[in-house]
Amino acid sequence: MKKICVIGAGYVGLTTGTCFADLGNLVTIVDIDERKVENLRQGVLPIYEPGLEEIVRRNAQSGRLRFTTSYAEGVRDAEFVFIAVGTPSGAEGEADLRYVRQAAEAIAEVMDHPIVIVNKSTVPIGTGDWVADIVNKHKKNDVPFAVVSNPEFLREGSAVYDFMNPDRVVLGSLNREAAEQVAQLYLSLRAPIVITDLRTAEMIKYASNAFLANRISFINEIASICEALGADVKEVAAGMGYDKRIGPSFLDAGIGFGGSCFPKDVKALAHMAAIHGCHPQLLRAVLEINRDQRRRLVQKLRDILGSLDEQVIGVLGLAFKPNTDDMREAPAVEIIHLLQNEGAIIRAYDPVAMRNAKAMLDGVTFCENAYEAAQGADALVICTEWNEFKHLDLKWIKEAMRRPIIVDGRNIYDPETMRQLGFLYRGVGRGYGV
Amino acid sequence: MKRICMIGVGYVGLVTGACLADLGNKVVCVNRDEKKAANLRKGILPIYEPGLEEIVHRNKEAGRLFFTTSYDEGVKDAEFVFISVGTPSGLEGEADLQHVHDAAVEIAKRLDHPLIIVNKSTVPIGTGDWVADIVRENMPDPSIPFWVVSNPEFLREGSGVYDFMNPDRIVLGSLSREAAERVAELYYPLQAETIITDLRTAEMIKYASNCFLATKISFINEIAAICESLGADVKEVARGMGTDKRIGPHFLGAGIGWGGSCFPKDVKALIHMATTHGTRPQLLRAVMEINYDQRKRIINHLRDILGSYRGKVVGLLGLAFKPNTDDMRDAPSITLARLLVAEGAQVKAYDPVAMETARRAMQDVSVTYCNDPYEVAKDADALILVTEWNEFKQLDMQRIKSLMRQPVLMDGRNIYDPPRMRELGFIYRGVGRGHNGGLIRNR
Repeated sequence: MKKICVIGAGYVGLTTGTCFADLGNLVTIVDIDERKVENLRQGVLPIYEPGLEEIVRRNAQSGRLRFTTSYAEGVRDAEFVFIAVGTPSGAEGEADLRYVRQAAEAIAEVMDHPIVIVNKSTVPIGTGDWVADIVNKHKKNDVPFAVVSNPEFLREGSAVYDFMNPDRVVLGSLNREAAEQVAQLYLSLRAPIVITDLRTAEMIKYASNAFLANRISFINEIASICEALGADVKEVAAGMGYDKRIGPSFLDAGIGFGGSCFPKDVKALAHMAAIHGCHPQLLRAVLEINRDQRRRLVQKLRDILGSLDEQVIGVLGLAFKPNTDDMREAPAVEIIHLLQNEGAIIRAYDPVAMRNAKAMLDGVTFCENAYEAAQGADALVICTEWNEFKHLDLKWIKEAMRRPIIVDGRNIYDPETMRQLGFLYRGVGRGYGV
Repeated sequence: MKRICMIGVGYVGLVTGACLADLGNKVVCVNRDEKKAANLRKGILPIYEPGLEEIVHRNKEAGRLFFTTSYDEGVKDAEFVFISVGTPSGLEGEADLQHVHDAAVEIAKRLDHPLIIVNKSTVPIGTGDWVADIVRENMPDPSIPFWVVSNPEFLREGSGVYDFMNPDRIVLGSLSREAAERVAELYYPLQAETIITDLRTAEMIKYASNCFLATKISFINEIAAICESLGADVKEVARGMGTDKRIGPHFLGAGIGWGGSCFPKDVKALIHMATTHGTRPQLLRAVMEINYDQRKRIINHLRDILGSYRGKVVGLLGLAFKPNTDDMRDAPSITLARLLVAEGAQVKAYDPVAMETARRAMQDVSVTYCNDPYEVAKDADALILVTEWNEFKQLDMQRIKSLMRQPVLMDGRNIYDPPRMRELGFIYRGVGRGHNGGLIRNR
């Protein structure tokens, strides 16, 4: 049993802290938002994540998991302090480190015994060194400390599983002993542990996310070529994916990636590269292709409908991916704005993200279900591949629509079946439709 | 036992033909070059490929593998005709289809029984349809049925035989599912995943796969450049990335980039196809540009160290585009030698097997060819490790250093340990190893 303090009760902090408690450690989660902490004490979580609520309750009851607004209380006995605060995108695509700085200063103020500071937040390369400088400058007591970078690789929707079953644990530090102490915390997960220096560990996180984003933009570029040449990108991806050196993940052509990680991390890495004299042309192509995928969908609709003015467009799915209510950088938002700019009337439905979507979208008619969204529509657009859209009663959908046009931004339907049903159907990169 | 005719005895045709014979089929290999055919009949191969000579010999002896210059002889009884002729890059990066065209015409003229024509060559999307048109126009009796199937090859030079026998997948594309399934039967003994799709999609799978692998390398090379600026170690970054199951460890070696007869040709061809059909393949273009910039970056780094190349002696270790081959096609070493000589350096070089092919590939460049790495190092101002041959990994580096005029070592393939090289007194530069690459261990 180790004593651990986690700064930040957001998505990463809460999952990490709770899971460490579940592994038998004594964990205190510090967050400066009083209401959040009060809610957490009552078992009310600020985010939805499958399985998390139960683990929070179990560990809170057994006394291994506590919540507080006080740094002093959190850091007091801790051997490890994890920084897991937000690092939003700044105006130029750089990561905004204000919360990391606040956390580092606050830790330094109350630190009165040796601790290992572990950075979980996704931070620019070099931040580990910078955190050490801040702590050195602000510490009240002359006690030793070490900084370790330990990037998180959690996916929203399966974060608890990902914590407990990591592909690898990455630890970076100038102090090998400190890194090995942190490694002890993860030993029971039996994952490969990569110990390296601080900057390399920070880079692993960015490079991994950038590569996954690159896979998606790659297949989207291939999709455009498939459309021009009459091949089917879905089968191309299947054929590529069997190659062991390629693998099948992240090869789904569509309207591109969104969410709180990929866009932010690719932008941040491109920003870091550029301000250090590199010309990150591949990363820029990845971002630009991703942005263009959304515009291409609007163009497809315009080509079919002639003009979008006063056309009723039903949008199925709003969240940036299925099984989440997260609307950050969701392609649907951009697509709806572009359609509205051209005078389209939007009816939209999402199984869980409607509440978040309402806060971000004006002038949209939010519907109770997919059929209502299709009612009187000139075209339907699939923006999120929720399972419930895969087996809609498409005959009913067709009858509800004014014109039977479907533009499938996630390639969830079989082009041939759709044509047989009488739809004018367009996927992404499906030139033939075998 | 099926009767198969193989058009073309280049690398792909020979490996495929010999391996199909080894699976128990009767294979007649046709090519136009009388000397090549005569040599093959004597067991002399036009290319080097591990294990191939033995398979050719064995199946020739067993009467399952034949070599001829006569299309008549090849097509006569065949149920399947494989086209595996070369498709070199044309001037604009497009694939040159002259040989495919000629093969299709020759097959058509002799088409007097039902036949499945299988395209093994890497050909632009749409070529399958085009071959069918050519055959239709040139066949004497239009009532005889024939089918075209695309069956792209995924063989790697140096392990072609192994790759044929242990494929990750078999890709078959045709407008006729039945024809594709008959080709699938030929591969049945290999028990691999088989994907049957349409012609154009099969053709695209080949390009997309090669382009993706090329992208992986250019990606890590872009990351390497960022690592150099920010003080991270790309070799460790690649290791950390590669343990992610969705990424995988392959093709993440930062270095001076890819060459050879496939990646450059295929990436260029796909860019060409995309552009001539109205799309703008910006990612592929970035992949291409990054790859060729890698060669120039190392020239730049070395110039920074040496001051100027004028009068300096630079040694190249390795010339082939990758280890275990004598293939010099689009090898980075050619670019390096040219650029170095152009800037006034004297270039020495050694490669374990590619010296002959290198002499031919670099006729116009003044290079001194040496007998071993130590001879290359003698009086050199710098060494550039170009090809990661195993024999370079365990050199007597102390001896190398003592032979050199200046101990400058540019490691274009990151095969050496930076702290160790520095301990030995080398001025050492890898690719993307901003930090010292120490500290690191994987448990």
